Order: sequence, then C-alpha cells, then structure tokens
Amino acid sequence: MNTDNFKRTKNLKLSIIKQIELKAQKYTDVISLAQGIPSFDTPECIKRRVVRALDRGVVAKYSISPGLPELRELIELRLAKENMFYDWEKEIIVTAGSIQGITASILAITDPGDEILIPEPTYTSYSEVITLAGCKPVFVPLNEKQGWTFEIEKYEQAITDKTKAIFFCNPNNPTSTIYTKNDQLKLAELAKKHELYIITDEVYKDFLYNSERIFSLAEIPELRKIVIRIYSFSKAYAMTGWRVGYVQSDESITKEIIKVHDCLVTCAPVISQYAAMGALEMGEKDLKIFNKEYIKRRDLICKRLDNLNHVFTYVRPKSAYYVFPKINPKIKNSDNSFKFVLNLLSKTHVAFVPGFAFGPNGEGHIRMSFGRSEKDIDEAFDRLDKFFKVKK
Amino acid sequence: MKKCLKQILKYYLKYITKIVLFVHRPTIIVIAGSINKPFVKEEVKRILKKEKYKVRANPKNFNTEIGLPLAVLSLPSGYNSFKDWLPAIYLAPLRLFQKSFPKFLVLSLGTSDPGDIKYLLSIIKPKIAVITDVTQRYLESFDNVDNLFKEYIQLAKIIPKNGLLITNNDNVRLKTLKNHSKAKSISFAINEKADYQTSNIKKNLKGTSFSVNNGSKQTVFQINKFGNHHVYSSMIGLIIKTYVNE
Repeated sequence: MNTDNFKRTKNLKLSIIKQIELKAQKYTDVISLAQGIPSFDTPECIKRRVVRALDRGVVAKYSISPGLPELRELIELRLAKENMFYDWEKEIIVTAGSIQGITASILAITDPGDEILIPEPTYTSYSEVITLAGCKPVFVPLNEKQGWTFEIEKYEQAITDKTKAIFFCNPNNPTSTIYTKNDQLKLAELAKKHELYIITDEVYKDFLYNSERIFSLAEIPELRKIVIRIYSFSKAYAMTGWRVGYVQSDESITKEIIKVHDCLVTCAPVISQYAAMGALEMGEKDLKIFNKEYIKRRDLICKRLDNLNHVFTYVRPKSAYYVFPKINPKIKNSDNSFKFVLNLLSKTHVAFVPGFAFGPNGEGHIRMSFGRSEKDIDEAFDRLDKFFKVKK
Repeated sequence: MKKCLKQILKYYLKYITKIVLFVHRPTIIVIAGSINKPFVKEEVKRILKKEKYKVRANPKNFNTEIGLPLAVLSLPSGYNSFKDWLPAIYLAPLRLFQKSFPKFLVLSLGTSDPGDIKYLLSIIKPKIAVITDVTQRYLESFDNVDNLFKEYIQLAKIIPKNGLLITNNDNVRLKTLKNHSKAKSISFAINEKADYQTSNIKKNLKGTSFSVNNGSKQTVFQINKFGNHHVYSSMIGLIIKTYVNE
C-alpha cells in the first residue's frame, strides 16, 4: 500500500480517554472515573416520548437536514428563555451530538492551514477535529492559580494572520470552570478586533451548583455574526448514547454549516430528535434531580480529595462533573500523568484520565469524573486511600 | 388497565372543563395550524396582558385531549404516574369556585390525527380562531393535505357570527377558509395581498424591523427576534389587539 495514503488521518490520535477505557476493561473489578458518562439512565418522560413516536411510525424516515421543525421550535423557545434569540428555521441545526456540530462548524468556517486558538487544558477531541480539518490547534494556557481563568494578553500574543477562530468549552471540561461574563466579553472584543469566529461549546451549561447563571456570548446580538454556539443533550439529560445536540448561529454562518452537516450525516437520528423533544418538553424535573445528585457527588469527591491532600490539590468544581486535581510534585510520576494514571490503574483498578490529554498545561494533573454513583466514588477513593496510605 | 384509567381521566377532565367554562364564560382564542403555534400563542398572551387582561395560555405541549383541559383548568400533568395525577383530579372541580378566572384563554390546538379538532371542539367553544399555516408537517395520519385542511374547516364552521376568523393568505388553502365560516374574517400575509400585510422586513443586529399595513393605517415594528414566523406572530397580535379594543 502506498505510504502516502492516510495523509488526513495519520496525525490523528485515538482519544486518550478511549485508550484508558480500553486498558481499564482488562480489570473485572475496575471502577472508572475516566469517561464523562452520567450514571443515570435517560429519564422516563424522554423514553415515553420516543415510544409514542415509534408507535406513530414517524421515526423511520429522514427528517429534513436541519432537523424536525417541531424540535427546532422548542429549541428556539428554550433559547429565548435564556436570552438568546435565534430563528429556528434558518439559524438552528440539530446535530448528531455536539462533536458532529463542532466538526461541521470547523469544516465550514476554516480553510486548510488556518489556526484555531483553544484554551487549555480543555476537551481532548477539539484538537483532533481541528487537525482533521487540516488546521492547526494553538493552545493558550489557562491560569490555574486564578481558578483556570482566561489570560486575555496570551490570546493577543497567540493571534497570527492565520488565526480563524477561538474555540472554548464553557463550563470547561476538565476544570469545571465557569468563565465570567467579563472575561468572555474581553475575548469577544479581541475576536471582533481580529475578525475571528468564536465557537462556544456549552454542553455542561445546565450543571448549576451555586445558582450562578452561566452567561453565553450568544446572548449578545452584536456578536451573532461571529459566535457559533454548540449544545448537546448528552450530559444534562443522561442521553450520551442518543447522539443529539444542536448548533446555533447567525443565518450567514448556519447556511454554510448546514452544507457540511448534510454531507456528514444527512440529518441527526430522527428517533433521537424525538428524545430531545421529550427532554425539552418534560425533562426539567429530572434536570433538577440530577443536579441535586451531582452536588452531593461533587461534595463527596471534594471531601475524599481533602483526605488525600498530601497527594492532590484542586480547584473546587463550579459546574460539569469533573475535578482536575494537581498531583503533588513529590509523588512518583507527578510530572508524567499518563504513567501516574497507568500505575494507579494497575495497582488499584481505578481509572482516571491523565491531564496531558487535555493539553500541555494539563500535565501534572488527572481528571476525575463524578458522573459515577456515590458508591463508585467511595469505593474508588477507599482504594486510593489504601494505596496512598491514608490513616483512617 | 392503564388504557381504561386514561379513558376515565380523559372524560372526567373533559366534563369538569365544560362545566368550569360554562360557569366562568371566558373568551376563548384558539391557535391552530401546522407551524408557529407556540410563538403566536406567546405573542397573543403578551399583547392581552399588556392590555391589562387576565390571560391563561396552555403551557408547553398541553394541547391534546388531556393536555387541553389541564391547560384550561391550569393543572399539572401527572404524566405516567397515578400518584402524580391525584392533585389534578382533586383540584379540577375546585376550579368551579375560582374567584378570578381569566377573561381570556389562549389555547393552541394539537392536530395529529383525523378527528382531533372535533374532539377538542367538543370541550371548548372558541370565539376567535387563528390558523397559522397548513403544511406537510403532522401529515403522517392524514392521507393528504386536503384531509388535514378539513380539520380546520370544522374549526372555521364553529366560530360564531360575532366571532373572528384570522387566516394566513400566504397559504392557498387558507385563503378559502373564510367561505366556510359565518364569522368575520381577517387575513394576514407577508407575500400575498391581505387585510394586514407587511412591508420593509429587515433583519438588523437588534432583531427584525417591519411595517404592518392595514388599509391606510401603518404600524412600525422593531422586535428583538429573528425569523418571519415572528413577523406573522406580531401581525396576529396586532389583529387581536385591535379586535378586543373595538
């Protein structure tokens, strides 16, 4: 076979998270706090909505490419409640999860060779999608000492004539930081000045632990021609397997994204679109129940981490379901998070994600998910306590 | 068993609702059509509230055989739980004695199957009906659009002589709907000629600006929303505002 084949994919890596999950599967008693999957099943009201659609025989055919009109109407109504005004007919596209929306957006707005700035540490797949599009991810470090916040001057320095967009996740995965309105507006000013797009991935925006409202740049009408907002039903409604989310932006951008979306998937799975309708129509109660549970789990994991303060220091998560502790430099392999995680996995059968997977600034940290049950979290930390010899 | 309980609940809510409506006699405005119902409903509710009327509209998708009575009575759904239905069952008859029942009910009507409108109209007697559009959407249970249109003909027929039928002239079928009604008819449109017609629709950073022309009168709008469906909603809101203030 010609060695020139696979040019597009040869520099792509299988996500470190998936690699860890594959290694973890070897242990029958493994507890994985690695992958960001909610422990809950999809709420009953959503399943009932899907059963009704199945019974009516309306899920077998494609929907129109941007998605079922009734779902997009519901999305527009939900967005309006959150101070975002978008036309469901032309400015909202239902996607097969957030990553497909991200891929379609990046392919639509970039040309090969363009650069995209991503604050790091951040979600592992962003850089892979950017690479797949023939572009270059440019990492801009977040300030850990100030609670993983943006440092605007570092973005200014990173911008070149090839820069096309700034792409961030808010609340951030893996740090669970909520970026302030002020910081986001400063970033938007910079984007306007340099004519850059902003892609804001807000899949964790429903995880509210301190009644803090999460601001989105998509609320600012003056920014609508540069902001692309991504949302997924996966995390908030325990629907990771359904693969459904949406992209919203000004018509001038969505009319280009829809072309890529159509090439990639034709339309999001119709059965999942009905599930998303169920989530928007009836899922609010479950959202509140989940949030209460996540707060309990966040408090539990922080308490357990406090008992391991000779091993980890951490910033208390404000949203999402991750904590991203720093490994004490005196601990073995603290400067090689991959080795550290593999060692923990082999000795304790507990799986985490090494911090370097989220960007160079993530090295020396590990990501722990508290999407798992309290029982799993307790069991995982009992094993860590034993391993790091914590006295009871 | 479940089906049987559902039927009992359906008729219990239906007859309680009919009695409550007979006692309180609110003016009922219904919104029907294939698209844009939620936006029209919200706009009409907003306009009437601004005019200082007490208004109730159906929340979310409460526009079917069980949802509509719940909307009229302002009761929560128990969805799939018998226990969660108990508050609605208990509170429903108490609505008879509600002191300040809304003057206006703004209700969207769901039309998924043939006969849906007929059943819903056996519960409520609307004075004003808005039909937004008739499209291929929700067509699964109908043989063709003409059969779906027949549902709206039934609605047009039931509007009383002193009532109002509001229709979209941009839809060829809806243009003819007034022929089936004894009520006064007012049309609206963006592209075709109509009693209320828009001009100068412009998208700007703040939303959409446009003018609505009614004879020699012109009303200029700047709304913070995007999309022609909001232009239609604003026109319908203006028609209803003018009608209730006449």
